[in-house]
Amino acid sequence: MSGNSSWMNSLVNRMATSKFFNYLAGHVLVPYWAWRTPVYAQHGGPRATIPPGDNMQRMMNLILPLKDKTAVGRAKAALAIASNLDEIYAGLDNVGTVHFARFVIIENNMCMISSYDGDFSNYIRDFVAQLGTVFDSVVALIEGGDDMIPTKENIDAFINWVHDRDVYQIPDTATDLLRYGTIGHSAAKADGPDDLRLMPRALILQLHKNPNSLLGSGYRGYPGLSVAQIRHKMGLGW
Amino acid sequence: MDEQDMPQRLVDAVIADFPDHAPGTRPAHTIGLGVTGYFRGSPIARDYCIAEHFQGHNVPVTVRFSNSSGSPVQHDGWSDARGMATRFHLQDDQATDLIAMTLREFFSPTPEDFLEFSKEARPRPVKPDPWWRKILDMLQLKPPNPDPYPGQNESGAPGSLDYANHHRSAQLAALDAAMLGAPVSYARATYNAVHTFIITAPDKTKRYVRFFWQPVAGVEVTDPTAPPVDDYLQGELRERLRDWPAEFLLLMAVGEGGDPLLDPTQAWPLHRSRVVMGMLKLIEIPADQETFCEKMSYNPGRMTRGLEMSDDPVLAARAQAYEVSRKMRGGSPCPFSKG
Ligand code: HEM
Repeated sequence: MSGNSSWMNSLVNRMATSKFFNYLAGHVLVPYWAWRTPVYAQHGGPRATIPPGDNMQRMMNLILPLKDKTAVGRAKAALAIASNLDEIYAGLDNVGTVHFARFVIIENNMCMISSYDGDFSNYIRDFVAQLGTVFDSVVALIEGGDDMIPTKENIDAFINWVHDRDVYQIPDTATDLLRYGTIGHSAAKADGPDDLRLMPRALILQLHKNPNSLLGSGYRGYPGLSVAQIRHKMGLGW
Repeated sequence: MDEQDMPQRLVDAVIADFPDHAPGTRPAHTIGLGVTGYFRGSPIARDYCIAEHFQGHNVPVTVRFSNSSGSPVQHDGWSDARGMATRFHLQDDQATDLIAMTLREFFSPTPEDFLEFSKEARPRPVKPDPWWRKILDMLQLKPPNPDPYPGQNESGAPGSLDYANHHRSAQLAALDAAMLGAPVSYARATYNAVHTFIITAPDKTKRYVRFFWQPVAGVEVTDPTAPPVDDYLQGELRERLRDWPAEFLLLMAVGEGGDPLLDPTQAWPLHRSRVVMGMLKLIEIPADQETFCEKMSYNPGRMTRGLEMSDDPVLAARAQAYEVSRKMRGGSPCPFSKG
């Protein structure tokens, strides 16, 4: 039997993009490899790094599943924000490190999306100091949030809770995916050998663990500048 | 001894990667097209760098676009890196060059490593993987190796991949190379100068920076599922310039403490501060391609006041190797010196 029989070859090439193979991959191969080579779910949010530019305009994408998955639940979430607009705007101005922030309801999740400067823990800590009661009213509507209330009195636990719900950020340096390692095997193998062709599988298995993700660190129109620098340079005052 | 030989060994290593290399031509980026136009520094470029071409007036340029292969056979439609070498013609017959390519990173952090890499990247015979291997790959959630292009019997890609699997420094470039594709036009690709340079501002502040050209027409590659066309890039550019200049923005990323300043295998994060240094307008394709393309010799070490090479060892080695290559092929250092 010729391994290169050309009709077989083109059949297999077509198979790679077929519905059948997609189904097989998604429903059989992914669970199989997730079982054979289990990976650690990577934490959400940006990685800790040293260069100042990495600590500017960092992205937060919190996904908080609503307890009540009806229109009533979604309306309650909308009201929790709408009835606290003064608190939220004053809090954001006072914290002073937020470029953009928005609340979005997507498929029964309350999503809080922002870009902020500086350290994540301090960002949430400052917010709780400013906006504790608003957080309490939102968190009360979220699955698994009851133990956090009042957030002002559970600050460290609350910071971890929020961090766990910030989506995983796929690294800009894609080969970092190969460094995550699999459970039961050391990730610290100093120098391979690696198999670069397994990068897609590494990505698939991580997205199996972390269904929500931010693709890379995201685009910035004015990278490297903090809110304070922009307000100062634009003459907007502080 | 070894150190002194290095530039020649580098050129020989490149030549060995392309067995059909034709003496008297460039050992890499052999097929190309020379274009002329001008560059104008942006209003803020001069705040960052005192170099003449960043002072805000029009500076004539000669640009050479190229396919990265050292083979004399043209395959525009194959997925591969492209080059864009720019000479800024300054006053008093001075010049500075900026050499860039479509990969964001290079394969080797040192010239010694490049010698090893290029040994491994020699072309090997290629044929489609047998169907059962493709199925085995797919069952492992591994994309099957792409079939060779029609008529392609050899490729350096398998060797590069092997090298990258054993040398992490080559991995980003290998991955980037695997995803490149072929541009629909030389004027529709982003070109990176890869290495770090040091610029001096009017207040003598020195900054570590990396340059890249971004096409105003946007980036676009050909349909990878369509059969590749061997010869379209030069005709496309001629056609394009008949109607309108091709424009590129020169962008400059500013490095920070902690960034790999001297390692061309490591890209900087995309969110580094990015400064618009100027606009390039390419206007004409000179009829005399012998002078404006074939005989030209660009050099990544051709600097000018206010613009210096960093201590990146590959950059230093390239500056010498390109001079060796120029002499071997009888190239002239400057189109006006006819040297
Ligand atoms: C050790 C590393 C490298 C070696 C040994 C090497 C070698 C060469 C040689 C010998 C030539 C022909 C020069 C001539 O005869 O004029 C050449 C051309 C070229 N190289 Fe490299 N190269 C290296 C790295 C790079 C890198 C990192 C880039 C991208 C930034 C690059 C981009 C180019 C381009 C665009 C050309 C064509 C220039 C033209 O149009 O005349 N090379 N290279």
